[in-house]
Amino acid sequence: MIPTNYFLILSVVLFVLGAIAFFVKRDLVTQFMSIEIMLNAANLAFITLARSANSADGQIIVFFIITVAAAEAAIGLAIILLIFRQKKTIKSEDIKLMKG
Amino acid sequence: MNSFFALSPLLIIVFASLLVLLLDVFLKKENKNYLAYISLIFLVICGFICIKFWDKNYSYFNGNLILDNLSLFFIFILALATGFVILLSMKYISFQDVNYGEFYALLLLALSGVAIMLSSSDLLIIFLGLEVLSICSYALAGLKRTDEKSSEAAIKYFLLGSFATAFLVYGLALLYGSSHSTNISSIINFFVTESDLSIMALIGLGLVIIGFGFKIAVVPFHMWTPDVYQGAPTPITAFFSVVPKAVGFIVFLRIFTPYWKNALNTQAIFWILWVICVLTMVVGNLVALRQTNLKRILAYSSIAHAGYLLIAILARDNSSLVFYLTVYLFMNIGAFAAVIALSRKGKEYLELEDYAGIGFKYPWIGVTFSIFLLSLAGFPPTGGFLAKFYVFSTAVRQDLLPLVIIGVLASLISVFYYLRIIVYMYMKEPAREIEIAIENPALFLVLFFCLYGVLQLGLYPRNILVLINQAISSFF
Repeated sequence: MIPTNYFLILSVVLFVLGAIAFFVKRDLVTQFMSIEIMLNAANLAFITLARSANSADGQIIVFFIITVAAAEAAIGLAIILLIFRQKKTIKSEDIKLMKG
Repeated sequence: MNSFFALSPLLIIVFASLLVLLLDVFLKKENKNYLAYISLIFLVICGFICIKFWDKNYSYFNGNLILDNLSLFFIFILALATGFVILLSMKYISFQDVNYGEFYALLLLALSGVAIMLSSSDLLIIFLGLEVLSICSYALAGLKRTDEKSSEAAIKYFLLGSFATAFLVYGLALLYGSSHSTNISSIINFFVTESDLSIMALIGLGLVIIGFGFKIAVVPFHMWTPDVYQGAPTPITAFFSVVPKAVGFIVFLRIFTPYWKNALNTQAIFWILWVICVLTMVVGNLVALRQTNLKRILAYSSIAHAGYLLIAILARDNSSLVFYLTVYLFMNIGAFAAVIALSRKGKEYLELEDYAGIGFKYPWIGVTFSIFLLSLAGFPPTGGFLAKFYVFSTAVRQDLLPLVIIGVLASLISVFYYLRIIVYMYMKEPAREIEIAIENPALFLVLFFCLYGVLQLGLYPRNILVLINQAISSFF
């Protein structure tokens, strides 16, 4: 069997990659995708830790998080669509009406 | 006491929002005000239930949903805040052409998320309530669909908000991994009993603090605040500045009260919060100095107030934290009400120059706005003074003198930008003619209530302090 630590390390790597991508990428949809990766890293961590603790709680929590992520995707894509209709672009450097 | 009644405040709010959403289909555009009246009626019922359930300690779902006095107090207070926001929006949303039924429905749904967060002691449930609140907030921020600033506010709020959510969830996973539970008391128990804490648990707690830090807008997690506050419709800004902040602090209170009391090694978390607190007060007040947009000034002022509230958390002083939040609600919503008053169809006046001469032209708005600003700055005899006084005096007693000195200096800085608005209102010649729609009884009702609240809490706070002490003691 693959040791649980490997999965934890994978989830940390995914989380950090997502966080880096959020700051590096200049595209709203890609930034949103990187957030989804971070959420899924958390899901992976939950499953791994539930497995190592021999309890089902963590696996059930994952369902809640998936639902929340879906709701977030719905509202987020709607907002990105709204931005695209107004500005004809979804590059984040073009969104700079307010500053200071 | 295990009882189905524990669900009733929550169910009433959710039912009201669904009813509003349904009725919206059948109502003509000029009759949308009825939706506001319906929402208000249900909020009154909810408040009435909160009063009825006082001291009953109903719980449901095996204690995962508890209506202790603390949560009842805050459900009441935040339902009141939502009621104020609805009253403020009645004219505003037809002026700004956002009078859809979704407006009230989303506000009520956001409030239901707040009720979930307040009445749970399980971090997973608190997270779900937070998401209900946040997802509604993202939509509310972007409700002015033709306004590019509003959409920009929505996307910024959405991206940074869900970024923070990811941190919160990951922190939750790590806390679950180390303590095998998501219940606050068992997590804290784990922190208490384990003499050799794993790095995983500490990182988990840190990530959870970051996640909530975004929501209550403390430096360095405040970047979204001014932009979102500026772009969102103004009554919604009033909502954002009060409601998520209050809930975030109540969650902090629920986490840290047992933590400070019992945990063996609180130093690391204490100093992290200490640094955040100092940064919040200093940065919030300094950056506010060079703002010229009223909504941005109030945004930075709300960041600074989060700093003072953190002092109360660090001083382990729950009753002055609750008192501060109560006063903050009245003075901040009052200030936003005055800003909303200066608008007419299709136009808002938000720049500092627009306020020149307002004090004499519209004496009522001028006087009330000045009182709210003085209260925010902390002048006696307003509630803002007493709130700051309680927080600072217990902090001194808890040996947090450096923090208090920084706090007092920071609020001295804040006096400058609050007074600058008053100076503009009374001592500057108006540079341009402004014209506002003055007949707005709902808004003046809110101004009056907030004025009453600020003065009552400043001059005669005894009754409310008794209530707050009952709320706090029930939660131990």
